[in-house]
Order: sequence, then structure tokens, then C-alpha cells
Amino acid sequence: MLKVENLESGYGAMQVLWQTELEVEKGTITSLLGPNGAGKSTLLSTILGSVRPWGGVIYYENQDITYMPSHKKVGLGIALVPEGKHLFPNMTVYENLMMGAYQKDAYARSRESLDTVYTLFPRLKERSWQMAGLLSGGEQQMVTIGRALMTMPQLMMLDEPSQGLAPKLAGEVFETIEKLKYDIGLTILLVEQNADASLGTADYAYIMHEGKIKASGTSEEIKNSKDIREAFLGI
Amino acid sequence: MKNRLSPYYPLLPVFVAYFALFLVGRNVEGTWQLVATLLFYCALGQAFNIFLGMTGYVDFGYVAFLGVGTYGMAIAITGLANFPQLGLGIVAIGFVLAIIMATLLSTAVGAVALRLRGAYFAIATIGVNEGFRFLIEGANLWNGSSGMIFTAQLNEILGRDLASRVMTLWADILVLFIGALAAVVTLLYMKSKIGYALTALREDEDAAKVMGINVTKYKITAFITSASFAGTVGAAAWALKTPYVFPPEVFEIHYTIEAIIIVMLGGAGTLLGPLVGALIYGVSKYYLSIFLPGVQLFIFALVIIFVIVTFPEGVVGVIKRKTRNTAIGQYII
Repeated sequence: MLKVENLESGYGAMQVLWQTELEVEKGTITSLLGPNGAGKSTLLSTILGSVRPWGGVIYYENQDITYMPSHKKVGLGIALVPEGKHLFPNMTVYENLMMGAYQKDAYARSRESLDTVYTLFPRLKERSWQMAGLLSGGEQQMVTIGRALMTMPQLMMLDEPSQGLAPKLAGEVFETIEKLKYDIGLTILLVEQNADASLGTADYAYIMHEGKIKASGTSEEIKNSKDIREAFLGI
Repeated sequence: MKNRLSPYYPLLPVFVAYFALFLVGRNVEGTWQLVATLLFYCALGQAFNIFLGMTGYVDFGYVAFLGVGTYGMAIAITGLANFPQLGLGIVAIGFVLAIIMATLLSTAVGAVALRLRGAYFAIATIGVNEGFRFLIEGANLWNGSSGMIFTAQLNEILGRDLASRVMTLWADILVLFIGALAAVVTLLYMKSKIGYALTALREDEDAAKVMGINVTKYKITAFITSASFAGTVGAAAWALKTPYVFPPEVFEIHYTIEAIIIVMLGGAGTLLGPLVGALIYGVSKYYLSIFLPGVQLFIFALVIIFVIVTFPEGVVGVIKRKTRNTAIGQYII
């Protein structure tokens, strides 16, 4: 579904991604692991287009989307749940969700999408008229995931969704991600620091280090490879 | 049943305020000068709000658009002075030219500076304003630093009587209409997709981007709209009212500061805010300059710090919050 070849990008003069290669198969959860500063978030931003690629190619459903502006990529069905709960704090939960249905096609089907979101997160329905900024951390994360769902994605990229959450809530996030795959039929590209839990849900995994992909395989392979675990994951 | 016109109710207080200002100015002896100043501040705030209020970006070079608008009118009047038979048509051409020049400048500035965010955008825009002023002076563009004086041409085109009425009355009434029109456009933007996109990007630009909102497009739209209104304000309030233009005067950064104070004081991003801000600022500046001359800006520095610390949503922002879901609430946004 998504294929990244020789992707290079960075900020200003600083190159972050070096010849990154990655593939996400339809209907799977692919986990991207690696230490801080490895370039995981930059890779997601580059795929969505908020960071400009310097070179390489990004294919989505066999279409070259390398230099497509990000709003068009969202229209194609690529969604990003950014790191650190980027909510619209002075809008209600409902308004936040509806902002996800900003594009025409998504708006036309917003009623169904809203039902999907409320089924997935019944709590958001109860809180729909509350200001998003006043929600708890776990609820805010639900809003960001729900809002991304409203864009009617095929591929959802999540950037550290369990960051800053209590262990129990972090566990719920991983349950949610499995529901996204099995119940809604999304393809997931998941960036996580929590390697153990992430490998537990994922089908495939990539290890990133200093802007390069160092290892890849099914999550079982990665989990069982002693070298990889010691070198990159510390588990 | 909801009235089809109810989304436009918030314009009522705006129109009532402008009408009241006009009536006071025309009927109470000796107040027209103050009213004219207030109208200028209202229009300035209303125009600036479309950009600053709706996007949350602070443009420190905003006065440059008033400046080029003033030049637009000046160029039309001096350039077409040989065709006095065109009469008021020349003034109309002047407005069109003012809008075109402000649009061109804002497109050029926006395309570059709107790639920057926060403080970097603000710094870049100061540079644009000063740079443009020095370009005019240094390259001797449009008479360079000696400016343009076109009182004689205006007299010739319109005739002495009409010209003097334009300078003393009609210029100010035009400013009133520009302010009211800017308010209408603000409301239309608020009620449309542009408004939602701008609110989203003001709250969190990164989040707006991942929602599939073309943030650059909407930022530039708001910037150009706001700038072209500024151009017409310059053309009416400066070029027609006082038919001369000098670079140091029309690129004076202090007008930008005043516009920022007005918008922040009244309530950035609200429809009524710039009007309320302009009235509070204009009236208090007028009386402070009588009773405490020379310290107005110092006092306003303290006022604006107080406003930002205690109620950053501005006067109208507070009223809007308090009147939400009441009968008055539907008139205040």
C-alpha cells in the first residue's frame, strides 16, 4: 500500500533521513521502532508532506506521491495522528472531530464517520460538548485519533500515541489500534517508543537508527533476534 | 424555526455603531474631527482583524499596505490630471489601483514571509515595511523622499468645491463604508469554510495541516484580503483626506502598533472587537493627549499588558463568553 524508496529529507541544512526504505502492506500494522532522534517522526512527516522530501520516491497504492501537497495526500486517504496531542483546545470535542471532516468527500460522509468514532470511543460522545482543552490526557488522545478517522483514511500513521499516558491508558491505546485494524479495516503505520507493546500488536517491524533503516522483519523475527534487541531496543 | 438571516444578525451592532458615529459627528458641533479619527481606527482595526484576528499571525509591516494604497491613489490622481473630464472616475481608478498595488505587495510578501511562523514572521514583516520605504526613497520611485503633493491636481479634477468637500467629509464617509464592508467580509469568512480553516490554523497549525487543510492557501487569502482593505483605507483616509504622500509618514510603524492595540484590546478574531477596540483606543487617546500629553503610548503599553495578562480574548471576547446562549449572544461574535 505504501512504499518508500531511498527517501531523504531533513530540516534546513541538517539531513535526517538517509536512503530510507520502508513498505507497509495493506491491512497490516507496521511498527517503526528506534531511539529518540532516529528520524521516525521526520519519516512520517515526510510521507505526509509537511516536511519536504529531498530525494527518493514515495508510492501510495502504486501512485507516485512524493511531492504531492499534504492536503491532497489526506484526500487520498493518508492520515497522520501527530505526536503530542495536537488538538484545537478552544473547540468542543464535536467541533474537533468535525474539523477532521474538512474536505468535501469526508464532510459528505461525516455522519457515518462520527458514528464510527463514537462507537470506538463512547466516552467522546458523552463529552462531545466539552472544550477539548479540558479533557484528560487519555481522552485527548481519543480525540486526535477520532479526528484522524474523520478524514476517512485508508492508511493511518500514528506518532507515539501512548506517549505521556499512564500504563493502563497506554494499554488501551494499543487495544484501540488493534480495533482500527480488525474492526475498521485500516492499515497502520505505528511509531512507538514502547517497543514491547508495539511489537505485540504489530505484524511487521522496522528498526530505525540515525536516519537509516537498520533492520526489518515480522515482529516475531525482530522480537526473537537477540542482536537487534540488544543493539537497538534495550529489551 | 431558525431565521435564514440570523447568521447575519451580528452585523447589526456594527452598522448601528457606524451610523451612531456618523450622526454624532454631523450633528454635534466640533466632533467631526474626532469621529473621523475614530472611523479611521475602526476601518484599520476591522481590516487588520481579517489577518491578525483570524490567523493569529502578527504582521508588523501592516502599514506598508496603507502606504502603497496611498501611493495608488496619488499615482491615479497625478497621472490622470490631464483628463479632468473623468472627474470622480479618477478617484474610482485610484481605489482600484490602491487595491491592485496592495494585492501585489501582499502576494509577494505573503508568498515568502508566510512560510515563517510566530516571531520570525513578525520580524520578517518589519523588514518588508522598512525595506519598501527605503526602496521608494533610495530608488527615487514616485519622487522618492520628496513625496508627492497633489492638492492642485485634485482641485483641477473635481473642481475646488467638490475637492474640498471630498477632503473634509467624503473621504471620512468612504472610510466608514470601507470599515463596514470589511466587517461584512469578516462575517462571510467566519461563516464559510475559510473561517473554519483559519480558526483551526490559529489554534494549531500542525493539526490543521494533518486534517487536510491547505493552510498556506487560507493564510494567503486572509493576508491578501486584509491587505487590500488596508490599501483602500490608505487611499481614502490618507490620500483623499490629505492630498500628499511622504514615505516616512505612510510607512510609519506606529500605525501598525496602533492597529495591533485596537485588535487585541477589542478582541482578536471577533467581529465586533476591532470596532470596540477602536472606540476605546481612539477616545482615550484623544482625551489623554489633551490631559496628559506625550504619555499616551506609555499608558497604552500598560493597558495592553494588562489586557493580555487578564483577558487575552479582549473586551468583546469576554462579552461573547458571558452572553453565550442568551438573547444578546446572537448579536455578538
